[in-house]
Amino acid sequence: MAGVKATTGLTGLAVAKNPHHSLGVLYSKILRTLQKMPESAAYRKHTEEIIKERSQMLKANACIETVEKQIGCGQIEEVIVQAENELILARKMLNWKPWEPLLKQSPPNQWSWPPVQ
Amino acid sequence: MNIVHHYSTHFHWFQLETSRKENSRVTLRLVCRNAVRSLTAEVQEVPKETRPTVRKSNAIARGQLKDFGKYAAECLPKYVQKVQITAGDELELLIVPEGVVPVLQFLKDNHNAQFANLVDIAGMDVPNRPYRFEIIYNLLSLRYNSRIRVKTYTDELTPIESCNDIYKAANWYEREIWDMYGVFFSNHPDLRRILTDYGFEGHPFRKDFPLSGYVEVRYDDEKKRVVVEPLELAQEFRKFDLSAPWEQFPNFRRALPASETVETEEKKK
Repeated sequence: MAGVKATTGLTGLAVAKNPHHSLGVLYSKILRTLQKMPESAAYRKHTEEIIKERSQMLKANACIETVEKQIGCGQIEEVIVQAENELILARKMLNWKPWEPLLKQSPPNQWSWPPVQ
Repeated sequence: MNIVHHYSTHFHWFQLETSRKENSRVTLRLVCRNAVRSLTAEVQEVPKETRPTVRKSNAIARGQLKDFGKYAAECLPKYVQKVQITAGDELELLIVPEGVVPVLQFLKDNHNAQFANLVDIAGMDVPNRPYRFEIIYNLLSLRYNSRIRVKTYTDELTPIESCNDIYKAANWYEREIWDMYGVFFSNHPDLRRILTDYGFEGHPFRKDFPLSGYVEVRYDDEKKRVVVEPLELAQEFRKFDLSAPWEQFPNFRRALPASETVETEEKKK
């Protein structure tokens, strides 16, 4: 069975059965979540950029090895895990709203070193 | 400065060596695009270090750290108060106490960060600040061979949100901070003492905790067991000096600042 990957070599990480499908689903879910954020949010901009880049590479190549090489962020199974993490993060970000202005300034001299007497 | 433990220093040496060798394989991907620009800016500023006993500064690694600091501050303007680089190549995010969970979750799960390992949580006590305790999180990204430090502050009464749901490693570290400094972590599953003895009272790493402790233990021959008694000390041992022991050296105050602030977008405007 040449050409079929037997193992990822990483404990607990099984070989993905249909990486094109699962990654595609994850990426579209992430993009949908990101669209609920305001346009100006930097997190949305940066994440959309990287997700779109990766999904283009995924769509352009049928061969998984080429996709892995182009993305350059580990095996395709690791890329799937990264996408899962990003999806969870994006959903939590909707509640946290980190694009809002700073909650409060630090008290004066809180971060100065050596400490003020 | 009392830091619970600070193992990370020698790792940085290793990291520096590696990144020097592997400059061609630039690590943080976002930073990749700006590396050339920051390189040119940096090289002009910093004169080349020629003394053999002084650590050389790595302009590329520094530029990458700066760019990543800017990226994190841009993505989380609600929580990041300040971004700085200390000791030449250690990136620090100084955040509001409410932002511990969002910031750590972002650093763990974002594609560009992936700081999946929590190396250590440390505490620090500076009694003359309004918020006297600093809580310091050291994170490691195996993917990008990079480290970051997240700092926040609190006082004796304000609880900090526990990050046990994000990093399982935080469980014992937070118990250690609770034991040594008395900082309360809310939503921690099992916040007990971890290092001190059964029935111990007080938080030994606080600056106002006496070096001798409050009780002493001895074997009592009549009772045939170990007894715990309040400490009896001559009055001159009870004087606490809260100032840093380095104050007597004039260069302590005159020295150059240990950290360099990274300008984020908010401050430029």
